[in-house]
Amino acid sequence: MKPSDRIKLVSQLLDLPLIDSDGNYCGIVDDIELDGGPGKKTHLAALLVGPGAYTGRMPGWAMHLVRLVAGDRVTPVPIGEVEGIKSFVQLRRTARELGLDKTEAKTARWIPREGAL
Amino acid sequence: MNPLELTLGIMTAVGGFVDISELVFAAKAGSKFGYALIWVFAIATVGIMVFGEMSGRVAAVAKQPVFNLMRHRLGLKLGLVTLLASLIANLITCAAEVGGVAMILTYLTGAPFRLMAIVGAVVLMASMWVLPFTWIERIYGLLGLCMLAFAAALVAIHPPWQSIAGGFVPQIPAGLSTKELLIFAYFAVAIVSAVMFPYEAYFYSSGGIEEEWGPKDLPMNRITCTVGFGLGSLLSISILASSAQLFTPVNVDPQLLGSSALEVAIPFGTIGLLIALAGMLFAISGAAIETCMANAYSVSQFFGWKWGRHRKPWEAPRFTVAWVSFFTVALLIILTGIDPMQLVEYAVLFSILVLPLTYLPLLLLAGDKSYMGNYANGPFGKTLGWFYFILITLAAIGALPLFFLTSGGQG
Repeated sequence: MKPSDRIKLVSQLLDLPLIDSDGNYCGIVDDIELDGGPGKKTHLAALLVGPGAYTGRMPGWAMHLVRLVAGDRVTPVPIGEVEGIKSFVQLRRTARELGLDKTEAKTARWIPREGAL
Repeated sequence: MNPLELTLGIMTAVGGFVDISELVFAAKAGSKFGYALIWVFAIATVGIMVFGEMSGRVAAVAKQPVFNLMRHRLGLKLGLVTLLASLIANLITCAAEVGGVAMILTYLTGAPFRLMAIVGAVVLMASMWVLPFTWIERIYGLLGLCMLAFAAALVAIHPPWQSIAGGFVPQIPAGLSTKELLIFAYFAVAIVSAVMFPYEAYFYSSGGIEEEWGPKDLPMNRITCTVGFGLGSLLSISILASSAQLFTPVNVDPQLLGSSALEVAIPFGTIGLLIALAGMLFAISGAAIETCMANAYSVSQFFGWKWGRHRKPWEAPRFTVAWVSFFTVALLIILTGIDPMQLVEYAVLFSILVLPLTYLPLLLLAGDKSYMGNYANGPFGKTLGWFYFILITLAAIGALPLFFLTSGGQG
């Protein structure tokens, strides 16, 4: 399915994993951003990626827990960066180019780069 | 299909099938009820074959592991509840497995239990750091084949094969009091839980993605699940049958992990005892790693982090932090002094509660033609899948009342 096709937002897009052009997992479609206005056609503008986008989708106590484990960053991915939608969302560019690898990169600094085969 | 890969896959599945909960519950079930619970092992084994095959097929075709699908199918809120419940269940199981490793090391060396827990956990974590996924899976699975000593021991004690075969027929022993019936039901539920632990589906499907399975691997997936899990289950049944043959007549209740090893020591002496302990050590160590990694897989897949042990630890940093943290917490739980056997009871209880939530999204997705195309569940697969879903849901509903009514099977 292409991003320009008709999409059932909840059953076909929300909560699907994102895979970048290098084949790496780089987030989940945590929410979406719509574009439009009164009298105008509404269309999908961006995918919102990161646990900060859960606000409004879950109770406050659960949000607090998620913030503790996964932080509260939100990164918008413009819909133009989506190549296709299957059982995952295929992106056109790498996670780094789309700003989706910041927390991974920050955590990686703490991991020793030795010993693994 | 590469015959060497297939053989290794089956052997790994056999060696990795038995874990601490199966060892404990098989031995206890045999000593308490003779051969009468063999059929429950058989039915639960077909269940894990069905869902194992499904999770491998979904990984190969939809290219997605269980937890990614779970969140998409169940939604964020119910997905988060499932995540939390499965993390708790797997963490308790992992702690029980670490405790089991420490007990066996204590039997072998005579060193203090807590010291052995630390040594065991450090060695396991080091092996998880150093070895890539396939090596971890193969080494512990293949060394776990020392568990075949339990099957050899059963043959050596010349059991009544006709009675064992009769145990495969669904039955409830006659003449049980209400209290004994409840204990029988509790054991049946615990065995279903122990055989169908949710971590097995998480680990197996994530492993399929780690090894980059595709549709061409589906025959291997099917054979590994049916033959590998089937033979692995026969090992559990051997433990049950030996226990029934050796412990029931002398009224021994195998409360300790080491009691199971005696089943091999009786016919084969010291050498048999050492092989049995080695098999248990590697089988339980493998299960400790699998439960810990299953938790790291689940949390990483739920939040969309990079994951996998086909990558170097620093290439999937949050996944690495997750498994190191889970293993450390499991070790700390054991260091509090809690009895690992008690943890096994809690592990099976929590796991059965999580099972329906684990397997429902998998069942829905494996039958969804829009994702699975021609590889979607056919009528036979759907019927079997829903039969087992109803079975585990009933077991989950009955688990808590049975646990409290029987004081965890103690009566």
